[in-house]
Amino acid sequence: MTSTTRDLITDLSTSHGEPGWLRERRAAAWHVYETTPAPTWSDEEWRRTDTSWVDWDGAAPAANGADPARLALPMEVSSASVLLRQRGSMVEVLYTSPEARDAGVTVVSLAAAADSDGDTVADRLGTDLAPPSAGKLQAMNAALWSGGAFVRVPEGAKLTAPIVIVIDAADQPIFPRTLVSTGAGSSADVLEWWRSSQAATPGLANGCVELFVGAGSKLSYTHVQAWGGHAGSFLTQYASVARDAELATTNVTLGGRFHKGAIAATLTGPGANVRLNGMAYLDGEQFADHHTLQDHRTTDAASDLLYVNVLDGSARSVYAGTIMVQPHAQRSNAYQQNRNLMLKRGPRADSIPRLEIMADDVRCTHGSTTSTIDPMHLYYLGSRGLGLDQARSLIVDGTFEPVLDRIPDATVRSAVRTAVRAKLHGTAAA
Amino acid sequence: MTATNGQTTLSIRDLHVSVEDAEILRGVTLDIPAGEVHALMGPNGSGKSTLANALMGHPAYEITAGQVHFKGQDVLELETDERARLGMFLAFQYPAEIPGVRVASFLRLALNARRETEISVMEFRRLLMEKMQMLRMDPKFASRYLNEGFSGGEKKRNEILQLAVLEPELAILDETDSGLDIDALRIVADGVNRLRGSDLGVLVITHYQRLLNYIEPDRVHVLIDGRVVESGGKELAERLEAEGYERYGAAAASEDA
Ligand SMILES: Nc1ncnc2c1ncn2[C@@H]1O[C@H](COP(=O)(O)OP(=O)(O)OP(=O)(O)O)[C@@H](O)[C@H]1O
Ligand SMILES: [Mg+2]
Repeated sequence: MTSTTRDLITDLSTSHGEPGWLRERRAAAWHVYETTPAPTWSDEEWRRTDTSWVDWDGAAPAANGADPARLALPMEVSSASVLLRQRGSMVEVLYTSPEARDAGVTVVSLAAAADSDGDTVADRLGTDLAPPSAGKLQAMNAALWSGGAFVRVPEGAKLTAPIVIVIDAADQPIFPRTLVSTGAGSSADVLEWWRSSQAATPGLANGCVELFVGAGSKLSYTHVQAWGGHAGSFLTQYASVARDAELATTNVTLGGRFHKGAIAATLTGPGANVRLNGMAYLDGEQFADHHTLQDHRTTDAASDLLYVNVLDGSARSVYAGTIMVQPHAQRSNAYQQNRNLMLKRGPRADSIPRLEIMADDVRCTHGSTTSTIDPMHLYYLGSRGLGLDQARSLIVDGTFEPVLDRIPDATVRSAVRTAVRAKLHGTAAA
Repeated sequence: MTATNGQTTLSIRDLHVSVEDAEILRGVTLDIPAGEVHALMGPNGSGKSTLANALMGHPAYEITAGQVHFKGQDVLELETDERARLGMFLAFQYPAEIPGVRVASFLRLALNARRETEISVMEFRRLLMEKMQMLRMDPKFASRYLNEGFSGGEKKRNEILQLAVLEPELAILDETDSGLDIDALRIVADGVNRLRGSDLGVLVITHYQRLLNYIEPDRVHVLIDGRVVESGGKELAERLEAEGYERYGAAAASEDA
């Protein structure tokens, strides 16, 4: 049965006209997938995270079947510099601004880029950052991804509007894949948004994002997971950040019943500066697990992490973050904070910080807080005329605000804020 | 704005309040007619803030007996936010810090809660800037998180900013003067005086005559051990300033709370 899946992968790759190297990589990745055991409770990373619902044997290329729901775009098309939309496996670029065209920015499907930018893609796709050997999920994605997004910002190009990637799924497995690379001295904001209707949701979504942040460039990458109710999703998001480059990633987790994010940034050159931000708003039976890694492999670099979870109903969150400072990485500056706000007695938040500091001249701190809404805050807001619901939602908004504040692009920030408020106020998120 | 001059807007009758089973207020009776400024003085721990918070509906204070009416309504039946929307306002002795909530967005919501039609963002902006200018507050406070990292005096000014924007009919100022510099004190007093003579009733809780030099009270009440033991004109405050609370005996123990 599994060998037929490999044939299917190869046949599909051939019928899509993919280059030979990609076909071989898919086949090799599938082999890794088949030979890598599924995560179990006994793996430290998966101790709190139940993956027994995943049908590991049933994994197969996404079929081009049902049409995803037609959802309104999260912003005016013209407020993006490029807008790429993937529906199922079909990718189309809906808009390219004159600015983006003049700057020579490339935003195409990854499948197309495997041809048009073959060398770059071959060099970077699943090689250094998220190779199949990283784990069963990464191998699964490497074998099965379809569509995909490729973003290349050329040296020196500075975009003032965000590049927007929208992934719309129907009720079938989906394997999104994104590769972003920024040239020296360039600057760009990228927003990736995973969506489905509430009714038709992918039982399994397994995405992989690789971010190559070139020397002296600035990249802000924001990811919104807004699947409908029953989706189960995995996100691998690995970045490498070169000398004097700045990266800010923000992961916004709103939808689905299960979400696992593996987020890592490797600082490779002095002067690299990384901000890893995250916010999850979970209610009902939702579960979200974020594992993060700030990997300092160079001297004189800084990383700062802030992950905020707000939990209602009987939701559960896991935050596990590692700061790793390699032996030679002197004068590293690393900070990590996880805040959890419980709106009820029912939810549970686990917070597991880990420091692995192998250099001696470093500044590293971490902190974690888990709290409920302070009744004195409700009283204060009430004394100004705000009712209980209004006061609570203001406090929830306020809890997320420091994360929103770290999204540099105003268009992205306001789209995210709107999505969070929509969920908070019970209107279905777009 | 139905109150007419001379008509009592706030009426407190034999109010008993307990905190964690300890009785703090032991029968307070007090009237504040519309348009009047009353001062409440008393030693540390005598129950002044307890009274202020009980009037506003603080969840930790249990009313065990007595009545409070404001504009003819039974206040004790109302939630805190309903009292606020009825026109009551408390400038806190220790305002809460609420991270992530910006002064401007919070205050616009609060104002809208008191209005029948929403104020436009532009119009609110103009109003807020005007009031901040009046209070000589740096406009950048509008986008700061509510009281977070504010100095003591900045918090007090922020309370008065809210008072100025929300325009309540009863303002309780709980030691708004402590922590304020002389200029700020005068600005706050000017603000209160400007609203005087209208329907605004004011209860000023203070330890110092200084504020009362700027805001001349119509009446002064002395609270000792949870009871109003004496009421009089503004000269009562002057006497307290000179003599302290020793003449009331029971209070001698309250050197410092
Ligand atoms: N939440 C509370 N829990 C326990 N005790 C309280 C609480 N609030 C007030 N008290 C007690 O009630 C008494 C009155 O306190 P209150 O704050 O009303 O005094 P005050 O007159 O405002 O004093 P000050 O001049 O120092 O502000 C004090 O003994 C205080 O310790
Ligand atoms: Mg007090």
